[in-house]
Amino acid sequence: MSDYHLNRVLYERAREHKMAEAIGPDEVAAYDLTPEERAALADGDLDALFRLGANPYLIRRVFRRRFAL
Amino acid sequence: MTSHAPNMTATPDAAPEQRARFLAGLAEMRRRLLAARPDLVVMFVNDHVQNFFYDNLPAYCVGVGDTHWAPKGAATFLKIPQRQVPGASAWGKALLAEGLEAGFDLAVSHDLEFWDDVSVPAHFLMPEGTLPIVPVLTNCVAPPLPTPKRSWALGGFIRRFIGARPANERVALIATGGISHWIGVPNTGHINPDWDHWVLDTIAEGRGEELAGLTWDQIERDGGNGGQEIRNWIAVLAAVPGVKGEILTYEPVKEWLTGAGAIWLHV
Repeated sequence: MSDYHLNRVLYERAREHKMAEAIGPDEVAAYDLTPEERAALADGDLDALFRLGANPYLIRRVFRRRFAL
Repeated sequence: MTSHAPNMTATPDAAPEQRARFLAGLAEMRRRLLAARPDLVVMFVNDHVQNFFYDNLPAYCVGVGDTHWAPKGAATFLKIPQRQVPGASAWGKALLAEGLEAGFDLAVSHDLEFWDDVSVPAHFLMPEGTLPIVPVLTNCVAPPLPTPKRSWALGGFIRRFIGARPANERVALIATGGISHWIGVPNTGHINPDWDHWVLDTIAEGRGEELAGLTWDQIERDGGNGGQEIRNWIAVLAAVPGVKGEILTYEPVKEWLTGAGAIWLHV
């Protein structure tokens, strides 16, 4: 399974400088994602997103507020 | 060559003593850059998934626009006013054409929007915004990445290209990014000063070619995913091989999430 659509979710938010704590299922209903990817986004589980192939720079940009620094 | 990080300007009150020492190093770099009276500057930088996404992601790209945004959409976050800096379109197009002839399959962009990669160093080194910039971008952020050896070869080509230009043309080379940092990964914020000192000392001693022998795995282990940006430095080192460097500053700045160094090459 490609991580393309997962990264697309993050990229589109990063381009618009939108930050999030988590990204709920309603927001990503239109994307071709696996149940695992949807869960990781909904939980804001950054380690899981990384494991699933999300680009770390996009994780950082979208979930910046979740990092201590 | 200098590190870049958004928090250098986005969080200006953080780590005041380290910030002052690092910025003193950049001020010295700026003084030397102005004294060299360049006509243009080639900036070896990397995208941070703002221009190039996974639908179209070049290994190497030359920016040939008449202007570049540095910054645009990131201005509020970076606390740097939105501005356009001049490009050198004809020079960039010549570099592109000659590069293709020489076997470097460079991509091209006429419209680039920079983040901290160009905007932050340019804010401190070239605040006037008058020196034309030709950006050469390397994919350092979305693996698989071009090899350090290939960046060394590209820098060698750029040396030959500049050598064939009119003798009175004065070209400065700047690389940004690196040194060690871990960004957006599970150990975000880690810095490895031992590796940073090794990189800087290796360059200072004129042995920059050793960096071209690094593998992706070695860099990822010792310099983190952010350390992969060292490719930008490697291209510049290849353009002036064997020259000695002078470390202007080094600070492992926790609040910037990076080992922050700047080094001048005595060409």
